[in-house]
Amino acid sequence: METIELDHLTVDYRAVRALDDVGFPIEKGGITMLAGPNGAGKSTVIRVLLGLVRPARGRLVVDGKPAGVTNAWKERLGYLPEAVAFAENLSGRQVLAFFARARGVPKQRIEVVLDRIGLSEAATRKVRGYSRGMRQRLGLGIAILADPEFLILDEPTGGLDQEGLTVLWDILREWREKDRFVLLSSHDLTLMEQRVSRICLLKQGQLCALGTPEELRFMTRLPIRVKFQLDAASEEAPIFVDDVHNWGQVICLDHRDNHLSVEIEPDDLLSLMDIRNRNAAAVKRIRVEEPGLDLVYDSLLKKAG
Amino acid sequence: MMLRVANALMLNEWLERIRDRWVLVISGLFALLACGVTLYGSGLSSQSTLLIGPSLVTLAALFVPLVALTLGHDAIVGERERNTLGLLLSLPIGPGGLVFAKFTGRFMVLACALVVGLGGTVFFSMGRGWSIVPRLLLDTLMMGAGFLSVGMLLSVIAKRQITAASLAITVWFLFVFFYDLGLLGLMVVTDGAVSSEVIAYLVLLNPAGLFRVRMMTYFGGSGLMEGLGLTEIPVPLLTWVVWGLWILLPIIASGLLLFRGRAE
Repeated sequence: METIELDHLTVDYRAVRALDDVGFPIEKGGITMLAGPNGAGKSTVIRVLLGLVRPARGRLVVDGKPAGVTNAWKERLGYLPEAVAFAENLSGRQVLAFFARARGVPKQRIEVVLDRIGLSEAATRKVRGYSRGMRQRLGLGIAILADPEFLILDEPTGGLDQEGLTVLWDILREWREKDRFVLLSSHDLTLMEQRVSRICLLKQGQLCALGTPEELRFMTRLPIRVKFQLDAASEEAPIFVDDVHNWGQVICLDHRDNHLSVEIEPDDLLSLMDIRNRNAAAVKRIRVEEPGLDLVYDSLLKKAG
Repeated sequence: MMLRVANALMLNEWLERIRDRWVLVISGLFALLACGVTLYGSGLSSQSTLLIGPSLVTLAALFVPLVALTLGHDAIVGERERNTLGLLLSLPIGPGGLVFAKFTGRFMVLACALVVGLGGTVFFSMGRGWSIVPRLLLDTLMMGAGFLSVGMLLSVIAKRQITAASLAITVWFLFVFFYDLGLLGLMVVTDGAVSSEVIAYLVLLNPAGLFRVRMMTYFGGSGLMEGLGLTEIPVPLLTWVVWGLWILLPIIASGLLLFRGRAE
């Protein structure tokens, strides 16, 4: 598979329109994230890809051609459902063994996957004794069991501790490196910010925004925060603070002891650096903080109305 | 590809169900009572088969629908509650195949429980009950398959497992206890206006009733049914057709309902 694209999808659940003309490509070798509030349509997009719902309009396009959700398509998928639980009277290994049989995966692969998700020692324990994070890891194991071309993860961070998150990040990195497809939905924007390559923001079944985290940040034009650590011994420090004060482009300024923090428009960063260069000795360290993806998300949703 | 998934599903159903406490308890109780009835009956008379057979029929007509409905009621709704229904449907298998594989896997467990339960009676009857067991087992399996199929349908319709369990118990009461009472009431209220032929057909529309009639005819001959006023027993082929419909229609309906997007 070279390209996967959702083309103008419209899905109705009786009288409720769950998706309204939503279309976007799923990036190869990248991680596409579905974001949006509850009821935005994230799960519906996933259900369409799994063939659990049929769109009233629109289609799935694979390698430039319209494609249906056939068994051959399903063979290429690995899926992790949200907050997944399993039959409690089976062991982790037995659960994996079932999916291995169903996917036609050799038995040896089960041990590899158990090791990969860190459940080798708990493999013979009944699932009822698993924590939520362990169940989530087992779900991840099922998703990657057949080494699929296309990984679909619904809220993959749910219940994961740091060890589980490391497993998840490793899997995501591997799928990127293998130049495959990953689509995930998550509310955990802060955690995902550094990992995803493209975000598809949905609201009330409509596509609000689509782009890389940087592109979305640029769309919002949210202020950035620049933090200066001043050199108290420098005579230029008070001059620099006065210059910034009088500059006129500062949205918010906070000056305490040797720390100066200012909020400015992203476009004004170069001008601020000019002021700093004029008083180079005044500043020991500079740190630029861009708005978090959670703020970008809020801003874009507000703009969408 | 689909056969591979179906086989895996059937095996998984088997593994899960034989570890299910409720199924084990009810199946064990059935086996215990069946063996008890046989042991008691075989000690009473030289013609023990005539005593054991109807007793086992009554026991099976009471217990097997409950075992089958219990087996079937959580098949789909249980997966839905665990968020694994979508995961199963992401495998290369359609909703119809999923329902059929689950039904088959659970039917194997039911068959095993019945073979153990009724097989035990052969041992306890000192071999004298052997002649009735194959026929009893066959009809019991058919009745069980019908109720299992209804249980599967309930598991698709219900949105929660507890609802499915309540519906299963209701269906059990309805078919095992109230159906015949209803027919008796109908006969009384209409004061014989409804012909015995119609009543006979209505009895046979209930899988538990069908089972009882077939087995009573087997043990007591058609004269026994005439004694009950049911003179017009339809031809055996029709009884097989009715059973076939009780097994197939709920399964087909389950698959169709899942296909129509009620999977989640």
